[in-house]
Amino acid sequence: MVKEKISRRGFLATGPAVAAGSAISAQEIKPHIHGTPPSGIDLRVRSLISVLTKKKLIDPKALDKVIQFFETKVGPHYGAQVVAQAWLDTSFKERLLEDANEALQDFGLPGVGSVHLVAIANSAKVHNVVVCTLCSCYPWSLLGLPPTWYKDSAYRSRVVIDPRGVLEEFGLDLKEDVEVRVWDSTAELRYIVIPERPKGTDGMSEEELISLITRDSMVGVEKLKPFNSEIEA
Amino acid sequence: MNNIHDMGGMEGFGKIKRQKNEALFKHRWEALVFAASRLVNPGNIDEKRYTRETMPTDEYLNSSYYGLWLYSMEKMCIKYGLITEEELENPDGKLTQVSGYKAVKAKEVESRFQRGRTSGSHVDVPARFNVGDSIVVKNEHPRGHTRHPQYIRGRKGRVERDYGVFQFPDRSAHGLEPKPQHCYSVRFKATELWGSRSNPNDLVFLDLFDDYLEESLQFIPKK
Repeated sequence: MVKEKISRRGFLATGPAVAAGSAISAQEIKPHIHGTPPSGIDLRVRSLISVLTKKKLIDPKALDKVIQFFETKVGPHYGAQVVAQAWLDTSFKERLLEDANEALQDFGLPGVGSVHLVAIANSAKVHNVVVCTLCSCYPWSLLGLPPTWYKDSAYRSRVVIDPRGVLEEFGLDLKEDVEVRVWDSTAELRYIVIPERPKGTDGMSEEELISLITRDSMVGVEKLKPFNSEIEA
Repeated sequence: MNNIHDMGGMEGFGKIKRQKNEALFKHRWEALVFAASRLVNPGNIDEKRYTRETMPTDEYLNSSYYGLWLYSMEKMCIKYGLITEEELENPDGKLTQVSGYKAVKAKEVESRFQRGRTSGSHVDVPARFNVGDSIVVKNEHPRGHTRHPQYIRGRKGRVERDYGVFQFPDRSAHGLEPKPQHCYSVRFKATELWGSRSNPNDLVFLDLFDDYLEESLQFIPKK
């Protein structure tokens, strides 16, 4: 069963998740006749792709297909569906926290990245945040490819030693008595944070809830703000 | 191998820099490296990680994320005989065709993303620890690939959850005889790792293999 309650495009349009559309033109990799010469890394990539293509190890059309797949079929809308369902269905949430792989096996997640998933839930007393200090492991099938800040040295190095300081930079003000839990993804398990359901969302439909859920809240660097219909209206 | 990739606990990299409405790929070359790595992908994940970890420290720090991917992809394609260094240096020169390899066609791409990567193992290996056990992380500094960062070596923690049996990266990165074993979620008090600067409420969890751990004789209370 493939769940497609909301398309990625729809999610990006309605939800506050960061858009990930590519702004790349095919021109960029072609030889530069005018303007600045290509950078060293451009040349290296061009050389690698050219050799692989000429040796018939890669089909250039397949390259575009892969890029297209990750730009359109993979993304945080899957994670948002999981979170919304967890908010609406207590028994699903319990199963999710107990064994995410079991709970998500019929969810139709894209087959990208590691398949071993773990869900962890925030509460008024516990705040979870996810990192990979050794590389940049991230739950691709639920959230898509990671944003640059997640892969940067600053986040990878600091969030384990100074989680409260890092979260403050993301705009979170956590009380002293809240337990902060940092999850360093050092093996093949991939983590998604189930954020607290914001106040003012009682009676909302799954689609409405999904539109409120952000990528960053599922990494644990954001708390969802109370929903105020007056402001929205 | 101790190198800069193991950066947990350093504080000199500055503030977190975020970009609004960031593109999935910032440059066409990033998209191409990423896509190529999904199609021509010799070697296992641990081998690739190890390749990046052996990169000279200053080069690692000067590389972007996809720059690291490019580095490991070049190295792995060479290691597995798909391309040579000479060919990379002179892509318009003489190229030696590789036999027995079929390029993935565009119409086959979607079917490649039906199932993700698994390193789970069905081998029945006994667990050395139970949930609730107090452990100490071995203070080992392997010369090769490992997934137990320096900041927890020698530190005391508690087994929170047993995730079952997985391939052992320290072996698979080097093509050594597999040693599948249990991988646990291990809980550390932030104060155990970072001392008095940490909030005594805070915890850090890591996923650690059996071989990284030994029994602790010191009882760690539940809360």
